[in-house]
Amino acid sequence: MTMRRLLMGIGLAGLAACGSGEDGRSAYPNPDPFPSTYEPYPSENMVIQGATILTGTGKRIENGSVLVLGGKIQAVGEAGELDVPRGFTVVDAEGKYVTPGIIDLHSHLGVYPSPSNASTSDGNEATSPNTAGVWAEHSIFPQDAGFGRALAGGITSLHIMPGSANLFGGRTVTVKNVPSRTVQGMKFPGAPYGIKMACGENPKRVYGSRGGPATRMGNFRGYRQAWIDAKAYKDEWDGYARSVEAGEGGKAPRRDLDKETLAGVLAGDIIVHMHCYRGDEMVQVLDMAEEFGYEVGTFHHAIEAYKVADILAENDVCAAVWADWWGFKLEAYDAVRENAALVANQPNGCVVIHSDDPNGVQRLNQEAAKAMADGRALGIDIAPEEAITWITANPAKAAGILDRTGTLESGKDADLVIWDQDPFSVYARPEKVFVDGALMFDREDETRQPVFDYELGQSALEDA
Amino acid sequence: MLKRTLIASLLLTGTALAQEGPLVITNAELHMTSEDGDVIENGQLVMRGGRIVAVGANVSQPSGATVIDAGGMPVTPGFFVPMSGIGLTEIGAVQEANDASTDNEALSAALDARDGYNEDTSVIDVTRAGGITRAYVTPDAGGTLFGGCGMVIAMERGPGSIMEGCIGQVATLGEGAARSAGGSRQAGIAMFRRALEDALLYDEDPEAYARSDHHNRLSVEDARGLAPAATGEQLLLVDVNGASDIRRVLSMKDEYELDLVIVGGAEAYRLAEDVADADVPVIINPIANLPSNFERMGSTMEAASRLADADVTVAFYDTGTGYTHNARLLPQLAGNAVASGMDHAEAMRAVTLGPATIFGVEDALGTLERGKLGDVVIWDGDPFEVTSRPLHVFIEGEEKSLENRQSKLAERYKDLGRGDRPFQYRNR
Repeated sequence: MTMRRLLMGIGLAGLAACGSGEDGRSAYPNPDPFPSTYEPYPSENMVIQGATILTGTGKRIENGSVLVLGGKIQAVGEAGELDVPRGFTVVDAEGKYVTPGIIDLHSHLGVYPSPSNASTSDGNEATSPNTAGVWAEHSIFPQDAGFGRALAGGITSLHIMPGSANLFGGRTVTVKNVPSRTVQGMKFPGAPYGIKMACGENPKRVYGSRGGPATRMGNFRGYRQAWIDAKAYKDEWDGYARSVEAGEGGKAPRRDLDKETLAGVLAGDIIVHMHCYRGDEMVQVLDMAEEFGYEVGTFHHAIEAYKVADILAENDVCAAVWADWWGFKLEAYDAVRENAALVANQPNGCVVIHSDDPNGVQRLNQEAAKAMADGRALGIDIAPEEAITWITANPAKAAGILDRTGTLESGKDADLVIWDQDPFSVYARPEKVFVDGALMFDREDETRQPVFDYELGQSALEDA
Repeated sequence: MLKRTLIASLLLTGTALAQEGPLVITNAELHMTSEDGDVIENGQLVMRGGRIVAVGANVSQPSGATVIDAGGMPVTPGFFVPMSGIGLTEIGAVQEANDASTDNEALSAALDARDGYNEDTSVIDVTRAGGITRAYVTPDAGGTLFGGCGMVIAMERGPGSIMEGCIGQVATLGEGAARSAGGSRQAGIAMFRRALEDALLYDEDPEAYARSDHHNRLSVEDARGLAPAATGEQLLLVDVNGASDIRRVLSMKDEYELDLVIVGGAEAYRLAEDVADADVPVIINPIANLPSNFERMGSTMEAASRLADADVTVAFYDTGTGYTHNARLLPQLAGNAVASGMDHAEAMRAVTLGPATIFGVEDALGTLERGKLGDVVIWDGDPFEVTSRPLHVFIEGEEKSLENRQSKLAERYKDLGRGDRPFQYRNR
């Protein structure tokens, strides 16, 4: 994982980094055929003054200031410590809280949008256990009204994934939560791709009567055979690239989109996000990753992470969890409310609180608050400045964008939220949400609240 | 709304034996000390024989009483979940452990939650640890217009926990009904009316109804099951969300004599005055704000507050994992309603007296008033806060354990050291 983290931000170039021919063109297929066209909206140079700041780095600053210059965070510190340059707009945030923009690591916004019906149900390509070659971005409906609701909840970045019907569900995509006509206009520039994989009940339920896998052991055969095939595919391309580099030329191998994604994982360019509820299965997956020389980034829906929290931490794997969901299926039966706290309590433990839900995404702060309180009840003392990392820095790390967002540190994108009070209160609401310094949501200003095409001109919404 | 007798609410014998001596909670911030939702600071509450016998700021302490100092913390009536599948669904996706609904179209209104109820469900202990002492449990009107009748339970395992059986029939209109009726709302409404007519015919003369052999009639069993709701003797809880659909349901309330409750009610606030005039309560999910389909286009987090402002009786439920397994999150729903404009006392009513009134048990539950059952919770902070938890939960005057499957699992795996024995031997 460390290696991959180092590649963060240049991940897309990984496959194409070597094997260039004499003309400088990569022998590998273009790794970025749907490039981001996201551009930050205009922002003011400003100082947000007087707030309690939870920085996302584990620090808390009372009466703090955040300086934003050119859409980037210039400085963060105690109000008295920072000189405010001339011409900066002063935003008075006395009595309020400032946090990094909230990041949802497990979103299906856009792929299961509002309106929700068969016409828009585009999240699971449940036609084959291995659809590693599908890309979530090709399903995203940029007019999903859920993006706007999430923005009002302080969400500034989303890691959007295919569903969990398949062993290999397809590629994930990370977006800035800024409305656009196109998904390319939302894509987080430079964010690495991920792949969605699934353990356990879902694949065997979906394919049990359709040729398999029908069992958990069938799941593992499916993963392992695919990795074997992907390795051969990667070797073929690497061989071709070497011959191009040596000036020998030759015929490019035939492209296979499923294997191309898996080869990207083996090359360390694509992060593995694996839906896995049971602790015992997670440990088996870690052995499989070792067998094929790749790394698991995050186990999602890791209901039983607390049973193997030590092993996850030793392997530098994050556990993305709900605060308290349980019981909707057998593999979600052993949920405990202290799950997040028990994982965080391990040395090197990495917890992410995720939503998987267009409602829950609007209140990830409340989910983190519950998980924090439940930890305390078990004697694990977790401060708000740490718990905030579960929905900011840790999901940024897990999505491979921590070099750009997720904390309030000099040089990072000015993705941040001004809350009207302590965000770990049920009564707290974001007042202002900035993405790259641009004010994209203001609770007091309707002109700073998006209305999606689907909602426009609907009389019901005019009543609302 | 129906009013039930206090006698009927004393069925909990055997599971919650009332404490012998009196129990006094002192130094309490008492909520819902009246129908108006009054709060008494530094108050005392005395329970004896399963009931609240004294409450107020200056209550004399009976001799020999067990005393619990609430330390100034909030003390509330036990919270009441107005819509759930507790005891019907142990695990959602395990068919054998989920009895919430049936695909069997031959029967619908005849179903009775009591017949599917698992009195040992682990959900009860988990829910009680969240400060919930009562819930309404109902079958789902899954693929059919009617789902059968539901019941009020005490949040306690065992056979005595059913407080009031078969007190409300559940039905679906709007998109859901259109689906089960063959694809149109008109068909859904027509079938709904026909079912009511059939039930009324049955009620008039059961034997004649049984002898008649009209096609497409409700089965005798369903007609019998629906008759109490069709005649207004039993509640009819109708899941309906769009403003147009709600208007149609209200008109049918007048046309028949329905004791109607709206469930869902995403757009009910748009005709709040009409709903209030019709004296129809609304069981609403206060955090549902997505325009996820056309009948929910007007969904807003302010809906609950607007209904309460119009004097509609409101109760909160969730439709996701919060429906059954996380019914314990009712306080969070209330907190969010407050954050969206609802008065704190009004939201407190919506999780206590509101549901008690809807289900006709307001004489026994819903406030901390003398004579009511001792369903009482002491909290460690504002009950609606996501960081608050119950410290003590009493049902009918008896303190209940807050331990449950989940807390035992957490305790078992708190220390992952290898230890002397495998995990399966620990914290048994």
